[in-house]
Amino acid sequence: MSSVTLRNVVKRYGQLEVVHGINLEIDEGAFVVLLGPSGCGKTTTLRMVAGLESISDGQLEIASRVVNDVAPKDRQIAMVFQNYALYPHMTVRQNMEFALKPQKLADGEVDRRITEASRILGLEPLLARKPAQLSGGQRQRVAMARAMVRTPKVFLFDEPLSNLDAKLRTQVRLEIAKLHKRLGTTVLYVTHDQIEAMTLADKIVIMKDGHIEQVGSPEEVFASPKNLFVATFIGSPSMNLFQMTVEQAELGLLLTSQPFSVPVPSPLLSKLSPGRQVTLGVRPSDIRIAAKGEPGSFEARVDVVEYLGIEALLNLRIGSQEFIAQVAAAERPVPDQDVSVFFNPAGLHFFDSQSGQAL
Amino acid sequence: MTANAREKILLYILIAIVLIVFMTPIYLIVVSSLKPSALMFSRPPTFIFTPTLQHYYDLFTMRPFHLQILNSLIVALGSTAFSLVVGSLAAYAISRIKSRWINDVSFWILSMRMFPPIAVVVPYYIIFKSIGLLDTPLALIIVYSTFNIPLTVWLMKGFFDEVPEALEEAAQVDGHGVIATFWYVTLPLTAPGLAVAAVFCFIFSWNEFLFALMLTGSKAQTVTIAVMSFWSSDAVQWGRIMAGSFVVLIPGVIFVLTCQRWLVKGLTMGSVKG
Repeated sequence: MSSVTLRNVVKRYGQLEVVHGINLEIDEGAFVVLLGPSGCGKTTTLRMVAGLESISDGQLEIASRVVNDVAPKDRQIAMVFQNYALYPHMTVRQNMEFALKPQKLADGEVDRRITEASRILGLEPLLARKPAQLSGGQRQRVAMARAMVRTPKVFLFDEPLSNLDAKLRTQVRLEIAKLHKRLGTTVLYVTHDQIEAMTLADKIVIMKDGHIEQVGSPEEVFASPKNLFVATFIGSPSMNLFQMTVEQAELGLLLTSQPFSVPVPSPLLSKLSPGRQVTLGVRPSDIRIAAKGEPGSFEARVDVVEYLGIEALLNLRIGSQEFIAQVAAAERPVPDQDVSVFFNPAGLHFFDSQSGQAL
Repeated sequence: MTANAREKILLYILIAIVLIVFMTPIYLIVVSSLKPSALMFSRPPTFIFTPTLQHYYDLFTMRPFHLQILNSLIVALGSTAFSLVVGSLAAYAISRIKSRWINDVSFWILSMRMFPPIAVVVPYYIIFKSIGLLDTPLALIIVYSTFNIPLTVWLMKGFFDEVPEALEEAAQVDGHGVIATFWYVTLPLTAPGLAVAAVFCFIFSWNEFLFALMLTGSKAQTVTIAVMSFWSSDAVQWGRIMAGSFVVLIPGVIFVLTCQRWLVKGLTMGSVKG
């Protein structure tokens, strides 16, 4: 059953259209992450779901009910804001009580929910404090508790970790994952951080310029990007791209780019003809150092070696083409050395150079 | 002497000067209100004398001074309350509505405050006379509010601008309507602004002289006019004027002290970011 459905949802500010007809189905209990660079329309989309922005066109359903014109207060949602948005003049307990007030619950039920939420998120010792007396991580947990006590149909998170330092971010990320596992409530989560998206999501929705570029599981968007944008946006360091031309060789079609070439894989043979421009994508982790003269390897020059502990990033060059390889730290070469590199054939991605779409 | 100590002494001297400038008139009022009339203008001035409460006794027995205090209180509190309600709602709207013409509207509201009062005294007199409001506290409440509302709007707009909209959005998502959000979230966070606006409105209304003189007669007369009425062409009753002035000072001081605990800023600290 679908928990949230967007059908051709459009957002316009006057003449300017910022979200162009988005279609998205979010299953009940799913953890869906809207991922994209700044200005891609992900927060606007989330705010439309929350009811904080009007919907210019299209239809939005929450729990099988069209809510286009329903006020935020009647949408049975809870939202965690980027800057927490805790009520500064209320204590932690009052913040939660205030969120429950519209539901007109019995006092016992209010206490029970607050006690449970504070136990789960470790807020018991902080209930009498005001937001100003809390650390960033604690505030974030209060914001989550406040959303949780309402037992909403959908949780909305708007870049909830962006104000936390790196260590705390990892910690709170884990708490969010645990919370979702425990409550099983549908989550719609906005972030520009691909690590958050990859670690938390059941389904990632990658957006750019108000369009959805790809929807899929973290594995799908990583392993089978639909276009160049997704290919380079997901993965760190990002995918290496090579401009290639299809050429006819004796044994079949080749993709060539001076001074190296790769054979066109058989599923693509029917789609490509000589002369066509193709962009070859290879993730740094799909490039390894090969033995000299190994079939299918190329010579490359090592420019810079970035040592990261377990692994190392090699900045390599073939002719004028620069690219990055990710290798085990123990196998790293020294700078200015010539090495043989091998592209894992299973890790090659082919895109049409003009449209940017995967072939 | 260290530089630090010198700085401190200089600071105390400056404070003393300021205190002398501000407190001398009040000292003169208090002393003169307790001085027998015969010693009022004696030369050299008398500093040691037997204090008398005669002027205060006269003040409340020869005139209905307590009723005039009541009039002033009704007018000042009425105008303050009305201005805070209307002004803060208007300011909230101006702060939140994003539109080009809203700036023109807010400047127009401010321009009302720049109006020279004397220019509108006669029109007000004619209007109130024709609708039967002359010599009533309501007339003064209306007039004072036309000056207090613009002030409140401009002051409160700044405070509302400071309240992050995310807080209101959070309240809305939490299930609260617009009015509950304003009442429970936005307004408490602007309490310092309301206190400042209340103090300004009250003091302006309490001290106002021109409109009170022109628009009231015997029934709705306020204290400023009452004190002045001891100044006649026959004689100036300095003792009673001073006693009246001292009594007039008291409510203002009480009001400001009451509001003082709200005048603490920094309530919004910690609401957003960390």
